[in-house]
Amino acid sequence: MKKKYVYILAFLIIAILGYNSFYFKKLSDIKKAQKESFDFKAFADSIYYKGILKSKKTIALTDLISSIKANQEAAFKKYGNRLGIGNSDYFMIKSTGKIIDIKDGIYTIADEKNGVVFIDTKYIFGNDLRDASGLVKLTDFKTNAQFNKVSESLNKIVRNEIPKQTKNVKIGDSISFSGAIKLNKKQTLFTDLLIIPSQIKLQ
Amino acid sequence: MKIKHLFLVLTAIVLVLGCSSKEKTEKPKIAIVVSTLNNPWFVMLAESAAENARKLGYEAKIFDSQNNPAIESDNFENLISSGYDAILLNPTDSDGSISSILKAKTAGIPVFCMDREVNADDAATSQILSDNYSGCVAIGIEFVKELKEKGKYVEILGLVGDNNTWARSGGFHSVVDNFPNLKMVAQQSGNFDRTKAMEVLETIMQANPDIDAVFCGNDAMAMGAFQALQAAGKEYQVKIFGFDGAADVVEKIREKKIVATGMQFPKVMAQTAAQYADEYFKGRRDFPQRVPVEVELINASNIKDY
Repeated sequence: MKKKYVYILAFLIIAILGYNSFYFKKLSDIKKAQKESFDFKAFADSIYYKGILKSKKTIALTDLISSIKANQEAAFKKYGNRLGIGNSDYFMIKSTGKIIDIKDGIYTIADEKNGVVFIDTKYIFGNDLRDASGLVKLTDFKTNAQFNKVSESLNKIVRNEIPKQTKNVKIGDSISFSGAIKLNKKQTLFTDLLIIPSQIKLQ
Repeated sequence: MKIKHLFLVLTAIVLVLGCSSKEKTEKPKIAIVVSTLNNPWFVMLAESAAENARKLGYEAKIFDSQNNPAIESDNFENLISSGYDAILLNPTDSDGSISSILKAKTAGIPVFCMDREVNADDAATSQILSDNYSGCVAIGIEFVKELKEKGKYVEILGLVGDNNTWARSGGFHSVVDNFPNLKMVAQQSGNFDRTKAMEVLETIMQANPDIDAVFCGNDAMAMGAFQALQAAGKEYQVKIFGFDGAADVVEKIREKKIVATGMQFPKVMAQTAAQYADEYFKGRRDFPQRVPVEVELINASNIKDY
C-alpha cells in the first residue's frame, strides 16, 4: 500500500516537473512580438530631425545636374543611392526659387538656376526620402516589410511637418527647399523634376 | 588471402579514380525550383534562370512545386540526393519554404531565392526580389489620382502565404488608406490565378454592383478581373490596376482597358541568381542577403516606351 503512494507521488513530481520544464508558443506570436518591439516612430524621428534636416551631404540641385552632365557614372556613385538593381537612383537635393503655382498639393517653382521644378507636398509616400537620405541600410532589418515600415513612419512625420512649414506660403513667395528626387540613368533632360520635400522654408 | 587483398586495393583505386574523373568531367548542376509552371510569368522566370545557367556552362533542370510547399520539399529532397550543386528557388511560401532551404544549406548547397522573399535572413545565400512595395506605392498614387480620391474598390490579393502579396498590398494601402473617401468594399484572395480572380470578382459584384475600381496583386488576376467586368458589361466603368507587366496587360493599357501595372523584371532576377551561383562556385561568399530589383509603373502616359 505504501509503495503505491510512493509511485503516485513520484508520478506527480515527474508530471509537475515535466509540465513546467517546457511550454509551447505560437511562432507567429513570437515573430509578431519581435517585430513590434522595434520603435519605428522613434527611429524615423531621429532619421528626420537628426539626420535628414542636419545632413551636410545634401547637394545643390544645380551642382548635381552639372556633375551628372560631366560624368553620369561618377555623379550617381557619389551622390545617389540605390539599394539593389535598377536604372534609377535617389538623391537628396536643395535649391531655391519662386512659387508660380500651387495646385492639388503640387508647388510649381521657378527655380533660380534649374528652370521649372515641382514639389509634391501631397503624395509623400514610398521610399524616396529614406533611400535618398542614405541613412538606412537594408541589412539593418531582417525583412523588407520592416525596412518599408521605416519609410512609412518617416513619410508620416514629413507629411505632418510640411503643412506646418508651408502654412503661410503663397504664390509669388520665394522659398528654399530640400528633398528627394529620383533620376534615371537613361534620363538626359533635367526639366520638370519632381521633388518629394523634406523641408520648405520661406525666404 | 593475398589475392583478396590485391582485389580490394584495386577496387579502391578504381573507385577513387572513378570519382575524381567524374568531378573533372561533370558540369556542376543547378536546379531551378519554381513555385508554379501554371502561370506564364513564372515559366518565363524559370526558363530564363535555366537559360542563364546553361549559358554559364552548367547543367540546369526545372522543378515545378505546383504552389505546394510539400511538393517543394520533395523536390528539395530529390535534388539534394541527386547531387545538385546550387538551387535557384522561387519559393512557394514565405515561412513554409524555410525548412527546405535550411536542408539544402546543411547539405552545403547554396540557395538563391528569386522574386519571392522568405521570412529568414540566415537561410538563403541571397534573395533577389522585386521591389514590390515601392512598385505598389506608385500604383497606389496612380489609383488615388485616377479615382479623384473617392469611390468604392475591391482588392484581389495573391497567395496569402506569399510575402509578395503583402508587400504589394502594403505598398498600395500605405497610400490609399490616407484618403478616407476611398472605401474598400471587399478584399479577397485570388491566389494569383486568373480564373480564381474572375470568380472572386463575379461573386463580390453580386453584393457590390457599384464598384469603381479593382486593384489586383498580379496581372493574371487583373486579366481575370477584366473578364469578369467584361461579362458584366462594366469593363469601361470600373478601373483595373494590376502588377507584373505581363504582355497581355501592357496591351490592355495601350487599349485603355486597364489603367496601370508595375513592370517587374523576371529576366533580371533570373540572370542575377544564375550569376550569383556562378560566383559562388568560383569562391565568392559575401552575398547581400536581399537585392531589390526596381519596378516601373506603366500607365497611359508612358505606355509608348513598352
